[in-house]
Amino acid sequence: MSTPEIHSESHGPQEPKAEPNRPNIPGPIAVERRPEPSKHSGRRDPVILIVVAMVISIMLVFGIQRAHKARITTTAGKLQGHLAPDFTLNTPDGRTMKLSDFRGKAVLLNFWATWCEPCKVEMPWFVDLQNKYGPQGLQILGVAMDDASPGEIQSFARKLGVNYPVLLGKEDVGTEYGGLEYLPSTFYIDRSGKIVDHIFGLVSRSEIETDIQKALGQQVASK
Amino acid sequence: MKLRTIAACAALLVSTAAMAQELAHSPHRVSLEPPEITTIDRGHPGTVELQFRVARGFHINSNQPKQEYLKKTELHLDAPTDIVIGRITYPDGEDRSFPFAPNDKLNVYSGDFAVDVVVRPLSTVLPTKYAVHGYLKYQACDNAACYPPKQLPVSFEVKIVKDRTQHRRNPAQSPHVHS
Repeated sequence: MSTPEIHSESHGPQEPKAEPNRPNIPGPIAVERRPEPSKHSGRRDPVILIVVAMVISIMLVFGIQRAHKARITTTAGKLQGHLAPDFTLNTPDGRTMKLSDFRGKAVLLNFWATWCEPCKVEMPWFVDLQNKYGPQGLQILGVAMDDASPGEIQSFARKLGVNYPVLLGKEDVGTEYGGLEYLPSTFYIDRSGKIVDHIFGLVSRSEIETDIQKALGQQVASK
Repeated sequence: MKLRTIAACAALLVSTAAMAQELAHSPHRVSLEPPEITTIDRGHPGTVELQFRVARGFHINSNQPKQEYLKKTELHLDAPTDIVIGRITYPDGEDRSFPFAPNDKLNVYSGDFAVDVVVRPLSTVLPTKYAVHGYLKYQACDNAACYPPKQLPVSFEVKIVKDRTQHRRNPAQSPHVHS
């Protein structure tokens, strides 16, 4: 009968096994505490690499998206300090208006659409601001970049109590103003017809007011 | 092992960069996941599921937006002759409010959403693969601005086969009687 073998399966840290070519010296001298073989560090390395790759990936996505937005802003930014491109557009009731008709006034040129919810938020502000700054020489103009009918645009503007001219936009006018890839897009034009600022997307009412004051040539308190 | 991990990381980076580039240069904020070929019996309706994905940070109006002037998401398809496009079923949108109008709720799609299309080949159609083309009309916004309405090209394939149910229903066509 063979002697039953004793299996000493340990789940804890294992003693380093004696290497075949090295003399197995008994006693405390043999207990050489060496760091665990890179069992864990070998596993950790790929994890770290993957995490780093994922972080870089996320940064890439955000970076490229930001760069894209910045590119659009830069295209319109080239207009800043230059004369605002002139245009002739119709109102929903068939009248014609030219931007240059308003030379001598500060103009807030707002491109909007009926399907643009953020545009709807700022339109009541424009109504108030037209009342407040109109006597000082501000003229707000709304250009609808919309495929809705003139009647629908007019009724939409009426519902919001719009007290400034609304014009029916054309694609070529949008192109002149940097492509208008998204709405609302607002350009601030001074009394000489030069663009002093432009804003893409919805901003706060106070930011709009600051830009209006800039367009009017008023002293703007530093932010 | 290490080499494999490095290769996987490199692949992840390259594919993400490509995706980001595509997203930045593509005019679209919605994409269509490549649809699988659906097998449909001739003369019977079958359903094709189209999986769309709205880019992160954006939302599009659902098929039934609450506000009157908002552009609804809508799928338009042109079917080949002898194939009829039936009901198109859109998922319910999610009621969400956004920083630009915190008190309003918009009914929108964001992330992934699926549209089911019923395709019914006539019983006279030749059994083979057919491509269906069309576009998804949508209008996307982020938290502060909106993009003009766009049309995302959509196409999928259906494989029309002979009516399999008919064969199963009448198995004893043979004159031989098996005992």
